[in-house]
Amino acid sequence: MDRRFKARLEAQFGDRLSGPVRQRHDQTEIRIRPGDVVPVMTELHDNPIFRFEFLADLAGVDTGEVMQAVYHLWSDTTPDWLRVIADGLSRDDPRVPSVTFLWPGAEWMEREAYDMFGMIFEGNRDLRRIYMPPEYTSFPLRKDFTLPDDAARSPGGGFRHMEQTHIPANTPNTVRRLPGSRQLPSVK
Amino acid sequence: MTVVARTWNRLTLPGKVIFTIVPLLIVLTAGLVITLVLVGPFLVDFIAANLAIARFVVAATVILLITVPTAFLIIYMEMKGIALMNLRIGPDRVGPYGSLLSVVHGLKVLMKEDFTPTGADPIVFTWAPVVVYLTSVMTLLVIPFAPDGLVAQNFNLGLLYFFAISGLSVVGLLMGGWASFNKYSLLGGIRSAAQVVSYEIPLVLSVVGVIMLAGTMDLTIIVQNQAGWFTDWYIWQQPLAVVIFFIAATAEANRTPFDLTEADSEIVAGFATEYSGMRFGFFFFAEYVNVFIISALTVTLFLGGWNAPVAWPEQWAIDLSLDPGSLGIGLLLVVLIAPLVLTLLFATPLWLISSRIKTWQALLGGFVLANLFIVGLVVGVGYIGFAWVAGLLWFMLKTYVLVFTFVWMRGTLPRVRIDQLMNFAWKWLMELAFLNIFVTAGAIILIEYLRRS
Amino acid sequence: MSTAQRPSADDPRILLDQEAGVFEPVPPYPPRTEREAEFYTLGDGQMFLNMGPQHPSTHGVLRVVLKIDGENVVDLDPVLGYLHRGVEKLAENADYHQVISQVDPLEYVSSLFNEWGAVLSFEKLLDVEVPRRAEYIRVLSAELNRIASHALFMGWMALDLGGLTPILWSFIERDEIVEMLASLTGQRMLFNYFRIGGVNGDLNHDFMSRLGNWMSRATEQIEASQGLLNENEIFVRRMRGLGPIDTKTALRMCFTGPNLRATGVPFDIRRAHPYSVYPELDFDIPTRVEGDCLARYLLRVDEVKQSLRIIDQCLHQMPDGPVMAKLPRLLRPRPGRAYSAVESPRGQYATYVVSDGTDQPFRMRIHDPSYIHLQSVGLLMQGNLIADTMAIMASLDPIMGGVDK
Repeated sequence: MDRRFKARLEAQFGDRLSGPVRQRHDQTEIRIRPGDVVPVMTELHDNPIFRFEFLADLAGVDTGEVMQAVYHLWSDTTPDWLRVIADGLSRDDPRVPSVTFLWPGAEWMEREAYDMFGMIFEGNRDLRRIYMPPEYTSFPLRKDFTLPDDAARSPGGGFRHMEQTHIPANTPNTVRRLPGSRQLPSVK
Repeated sequence: MTVVARTWNRLTLPGKVIFTIVPLLIVLTAGLVITLVLVGPFLVDFIAANLAIARFVVAATVILLITVPTAFLIIYMEMKGIALMNLRIGPDRVGPYGSLLSVVHGLKVLMKEDFTPTGADPIVFTWAPVVVYLTSVMTLLVIPFAPDGLVAQNFNLGLLYFFAISGLSVVGLLMGGWASFNKYSLLGGIRSAAQVVSYEIPLVLSVVGVIMLAGTMDLTIIVQNQAGWFTDWYIWQQPLAVVIFFIAATAEANRTPFDLTEADSEIVAGFATEYSGMRFGFFFFAEYVNVFIISALTVTLFLGGWNAPVAWPEQWAIDLSLDPGSLGIGLLLVVLIAPLVLTLLFATPLWLISSRIKTWQALLGGFVLANLFIVGLVVGVGYIGFAWVAGLLWFMLKTYVLVFTFVWMRGTLPRVRIDQLMNFAWKWLMELAFLNIFVTAGAIILIEYLRRS
Repeated sequence: MSTAQRPSADDPRILLDQEAGVFEPVPPYPPRTEREAEFYTLGDGQMFLNMGPQHPSTHGVLRVVLKIDGENVVDLDPVLGYLHRGVEKLAENADYHQVISQVDPLEYVSSLFNEWGAVLSFEKLLDVEVPRRAEYIRVLSAELNRIASHALFMGWMALDLGGLTPILWSFIERDEIVEMLASLTGQRMLFNYFRIGGVNGDLNHDFMSRLGNWMSRATEQIEASQGLLNENEIFVRRMRGLGPIDTKTALRMCFTGPNLRATGVPFDIRRAHPYSVYPELDFDIPTRVEGDCLARYLLRVDEVKQSLRIIDQCLHQMPDGPVMAKLPRLLRPRPGRAYSAVESPRGQYATYVVSDGTDQPFRMRIHDPSYIHLQSVGLLMQGNLIADTMAIMASLDPIMGGVDK
């Protein structure tokens, strides 16, 4: 928990932050809007008081209401991990600028987020599916993904016995809840 | 018929084997004898009239009888040798110490499905293994196995013939690689073509020194020039040449460290990817026969061929003029009684040593030892009495030491890359081979001059 | 029986089988991204070579499409997903305790690090304090696993270059370590040993005696296996100068672990962002500056020696005490997020866990080092030959279980 680091972040990014700087254990977390990703990342990378030259992780999160792109960075200026959450991506059309201009190694991490969530990273040269086959139509890690529907609608679906479901194939892909299941939780 | 069926069911397995095979053998033998008696003379006339065909059949049979067991033996040596180097056990189950495994592999390869992949050129695809196998085997023609003429055909251009034929193997490899309609095979074929062609030059140049020393390309004369003690072998007079020759020959035979034509970890099986069954068996056999042949050639050229390392001095020559016929009826008695006597002779100490060895075990042990003794006696007599037996034994011993060296290299060394391989051949080996030629020529001239003056 | 509409053969979404015997790795749809267009257009004299998922030498089920010009590889496109098991999705439907065994088979060669990464995040969410004896046992078993993983790497590297012997010798060493860990954890490979708050079971006599025997021989055994390879001219010449990468590019490609340290950056999570009892242990961080395959190879050998030091210290400094914190069976952390990273033999293995207050993780993100390293293979392969593809990939040490999750 590096208090001075929190102070530095608030001083530098004050108005760009869309939420308070939270700290817990050895992690500091800031939230920004998706449009601010490029300037914030560039600032964190280039500014000598931050020097966040190491991108540790790039993940997508589906909270049930919105989507987030979560970046984890490390620098030798602070003992904490820095978590940057680009919050507020809409679930129907999640778009975030890509950070591959700073870290070309983020290309595959963004590909995975696209494959699993459908997040479009603008500026990524190679945004195609990586785990799922190229003709797959659903995004598996989304909270509204259910497998039997997906199998019935996928292009190979219906040929195999196990894919013959009782749900008609032209049912739209809305959020389905099984009777008695828990509500989709909302997480900030 | 139930009587037969019931009796059959009550037999044990050995009994079934015996009761099937022995009557069959008796019938076949009787049939053969009767046929020979009846048609014998006609058969001889027929063969005399078609001598060429008969010779071809005999030659093909002999080739198969020589190359196939040799390949089996070398394959077994490789499997077991590499396994022991890898601290594993290797073949263990199929025969004593797994020795029959390569035979089983050979039979398995015969039983596999024989197919041609879609898009492959059927004629070229079928003939590629034939070409590779033939070029390996035809070089056996000139290798001198033993003195007194144990060489198939003694050309006075033997060495040239050898290199000419072995260089044709690249045609077979290219055929296999191209006709397979597979990019991996193509890569393997092209790599092998580049490799074999590149290493032909150092190979041939390195033996020019030997040719100069011997004055001839006749392999038998080259071996005869190395008679005497082991210091007369050409390896001491041509140390650089033997190294270059060995390396170039390893590359010619596509053995590790130059086995990138069949590099498992990159291009599956190279030119042989699409081959299965007996076609693959041909490639496989050809490779191991090649290993035998280049070992044999190294032995012939540099290690004295069929000469023993030490020359048996003349004054100790043993004159073994055996005439078994002079024993007369005594020969029959010896043949009948000797095994019995020897068995008892060897069984007695076994029986006396320990009380835990039962009588039948002692007799069995005695029988085995008696057989070993008789074989040893025969070999010894052959060795002393017949020069070709001694020569053959030494030749085979030396050849198999070199074959073991090839196996050793395969277990130890990683693979070189194609560009490193080509660099090595063209920038190093060829230059060194030329250097060797000049130095040898210069040395010969100098020695001649000194001897005359 | 079913009312699902069967797609017809005219459906453009269905990729029909290609003609038998002709396989071109080009996808049957028009290129969808810039990179795809760039890669799948052939220049003059180039062809595609597909090193398919079934190949004697890709490190697991990996498909690599090479664009070759003779023997030179012009470009390279890895295709993943053949081992994708959906671990992240499975983790959302499992208890916090169950996730540990689901996370094991990711980098199956070094399972304990997978478990450690998951367990560290959970402990941060739950504010659990792990007893010191458990921490020491964790470090001890994890360093043993690191040595086993590096032993596998050394053997596999030689196998990809064509040497048949070193892999079997490495496996003898690995076998001893794995048997040791089996007597400790009950399993030879997917250990399922770490628990939230500690480890499952204390050290036992069998483990300690095996460990003692092995430690006394370990150093010479490593020297012996190295003797076969390090001085072998062919081996060294094939690896030296191959696939070099400099520090700046490595950082931009998000390299971690031995691949980054071989370029000269002494970045080790155990020192940069310490966890567990590593601050109390004394070990060096081996670094090399050349950044080529040989440097990566030799660096891992050095790391094995450092691991031996750590194990030695653990054995001497092991405190007494419980090996598991007292926790309820039903774990409900308060809503929040936690990120933690451990230094696995391949690099930074990290997990980011989002909790929503229930007993199942809401989102479990697993960051795997092999995944990141594999995307650099194309960069490292510039101007090299096909035979080098395998060497470079082997030197980056990817494990496909982790790459594909």
